[in-house]
Amino acid sequence: MPGVDRGFPRPSDIVVTGLGAVTPFGWGVNVLWEGARRGLTAVGPFTRFDASRHRTHLAAQVPPGGEGKEPARDLSAADRFAVASAREAIASARLDLDSCRERTGVFFGSSAGGMLEGELFLETYIRAGRRHARRELVASQQFNGPGDAVARAIGAGGQVETISSACASAAMAIGSALRALRRGDVDVALAGGSDALCQLTYGGFNALRSVDELPSRPFRKDRTGLSLGEGAGVLVLESAAHAARRGAETIAVLAGEASTCDAHHMTAPQSDGSGAAAAIRLALTDAGVAPDDVDFVNAHGTGTPLNDAAEAAALKAVFGERARSIPLTSTKALIGHLLGSAGAVEAVVTVFGLLHREVHPMPEGGALDPELGLDLVLGVPRPLSRASCAISTSLAFGGANAVLVFTRRATA
Amino acid sequence: MNGRAAVVTGLGVVGAHGIGRASLQDALLAGRPLASEIDRSAGYHAVDSSRLAAQVPKLDLARWLPAAEARRLSVPSRYAVAAARMALEEAGLPSLEGRRVAVVLATAFGALLFTEKLVRQILEEGPESAQPFYFSECVANAAAGRVAIALGARGANVTITEREAGPMLALARGAQEVREGRADLAIAGSADEITQLLHAMLDRFRGTARAEGGREEAPRPFDAARNGMLVGEGASVVVIEREEDAARRGARSLARVSASGAAFDATAPVSDWGGGEVALARALRAALARAGQGVETIDRIVSGASGARRGDRLEAATLAAAWGEVKLPPVVTPKAVVGEYGGGLLAAAVLAAEGSPFGRPVAFETPDPSLPVVPHDGRPLPVPHRLLVTSLAAGGAAAWAVLERP
Repeated sequence: MPGVDRGFPRPSDIVVTGLGAVTPFGWGVNVLWEGARRGLTAVGPFTRFDASRHRTHLAAQVPPGGEGKEPARDLSAADRFAVASAREAIASARLDLDSCRERTGVFFGSSAGGMLEGELFLETYIRAGRRHARRELVASQQFNGPGDAVARAIGAGGQVETISSACASAAMAIGSALRALRRGDVDVALAGGSDALCQLTYGGFNALRSVDELPSRPFRKDRTGLSLGEGAGVLVLESAAHAARRGAETIAVLAGEASTCDAHHMTAPQSDGSGAAAAIRLALTDAGVAPDDVDFVNAHGTGTPLNDAAEAAALKAVFGERARSIPLTSTKALIGHLLGSAGAVEAVVTVFGLLHREVHPMPEGGALDPELGLDLVLGVPRPLSRASCAISTSLAFGGANAVLVFTRRATA
Repeated sequence: MNGRAAVVTGLGVVGAHGIGRASLQDALLAGRPLASEIDRSAGYHAVDSSRLAAQVPKLDLARWLPAAEARRLSVPSRYAVAAARMALEEAGLPSLEGRRVAVVLATAFGALLFTEKLVRQILEEGPESAQPFYFSECVANAAAGRVAIALGARGANVTITEREAGPMLALARGAQEVREGRADLAIAGSADEITQLLHAMLDRFRGTARAEGGREEAPRPFDAARNGMLVGEGASVVVIEREEDAARRGARSLARVSASGAAFDATAPVSDWGGGEVALARALRAALARAGQGVETIDRIVSGASGARRGDRLEAATLAAAWGEVKLPPVVTPKAVVGEYGGGLLAAAVLAAEGSPFGRPVAFETPDPSLPVVPHDGRPLPVPHRLLVTSLAAGGAAAWAVLERP
């Protein structure tokens, strides 16, 4: 029965009890949700590195100011975003780590780790020689930098696993956390992702001609590419039974996940969206919900011509005619593409959407693309008469697709 | 037989020893580090740096990877695709048609050569000269994506980047994909490449072994004079399927993946090992207990000890704490031969599970009186019933897996 109230979570359900984020809207989940509701893009001129010689000149940069008293030595920008997000998520979950430290895991996505600092190292090396390039710059250069930094900062003792599957990294990491919790490998998981702007990804996407010279316009007829962004998102996940035992409030249920691969092309999606469609179907099955139960979609929606077309095809394949009337948004229209952490921040706003029964808008402007046949949320938030289930999609280089399904706790 | 249990039915490996399992078996029996002089001409190295690495020699991979296909691939992607095809051939699976296939690959550092080339193009020649080809092949999941394309694998496609702990996490995830029914087959493994820059950086963090005190440069796991690892490269890939499926199609099972576990030592600094053996040992015992196994049932340890000063101390202390009053079984140290990175540990573990003999690690001279572990001296050992593979990563991550005779 579509729209059935799933009732209170069963004890074995994996629930979200805490959220944290650092995004171009600022430090914290509340500024993220406020910014998302306003529907204005944070993409603009930026200073993370000198972009004057790059083909495009805009990006969405995290504003300074939220680092707190974290020791910065050895930590990359991506590490700092990750640690701040994790601390916020733990605080909002009212999680006393001393009671569950050894059974707490960290599942994290990152596509570039500390590449920004790695570039600084190389730049110094090239300009000034080996002796001047400080090794601290590359101490946390590897992909597992942010996830390990979180684990170290909070003293986690459970499984720590970084997934670096390009733009699907964080969604896959959250999916991996869900599996580990269901299996009982850990009792609590901090799941999310972090990435910082860097010249490698900025120059790389530009070399592929995938970056829009203006802020990206996902699913619009005049879309020409993505905008890049940076930041981190973290979810605290645990079983409903574990949350109940410690008296924690359930924000939403992480009901299902799945990932598939197009096995088609390194950078282009399968045009019929069949790989992504398979991932959506598998995730819905994993969650025990039907396509008709889905109340809104937080799309991957990069704004590249091929991605958005393939994603629209996937949604049509799964939802049929209903694809035209399911409210759809892309958080990337506001904060850019956060690459390895996109799935994490988008999971955070998807949960907020279920909680507040509304879908955040994308900016107005840009011609509609009737061929895609989607119900885009534009300009103002869309209130939902029913907000029981939402999906968040992530589609990546290498053909990797990852989908998360969230459901709302009952309020009755 | 344990129907839904995950078993390994094929192994493919490319490394400093060459192509395939036979050359690796020979190398492990010989016990000599597969070390060769690394080119340091790019200028990244200090004058007194370490000079050796376990480098893949010029190999003819054409049987596994036609030249036309190889040209479009980064080095780790080449190793991974070749090893995956080799593993499938050994598993007797010429076609994957109709099967749901997951790919789970670990990489510590990804396609570093292309990454470095692209970054230097941007920094030195300007962003306009950045080549798109380098970018699409320098993402960490390029190898996993290439393997999926080469094999038509449309299941989950996961790239795990947890440094030295990655290969065991990938093995565990691959086994879970088939055991939990999401895939019929998992291609799991690890791929990495050595570059001058990586080698120089690891040296700068004092990660690599050096010539010292009249001793030659060599990795010496658990030796009193150990002073670092041998940097390695290559790929190891295994085919994993459900035991009942393997039996049905008459495939030989090489090993059963019967347990896995992971933990984190938050006392570790960002690029070294910490002192959290007590908690790690508890986590290891708990992982075994979840599979109904006790340490007394383990009759071989394939240790991830690499010759790292603090890493080997933590490894030995963790094993001692986990075993407690129980006598430790023989401990073999394949990284004394294949080095760190590139997945040699995974391939060596599968060989060990089959009963392949390990020789005395020739560079090992002096037991460390402060360590409760001495590597096996090369005497013939019975085929193990159940072996533990360990991997502790610099930075804190830990992962273990148990392989047993099917």
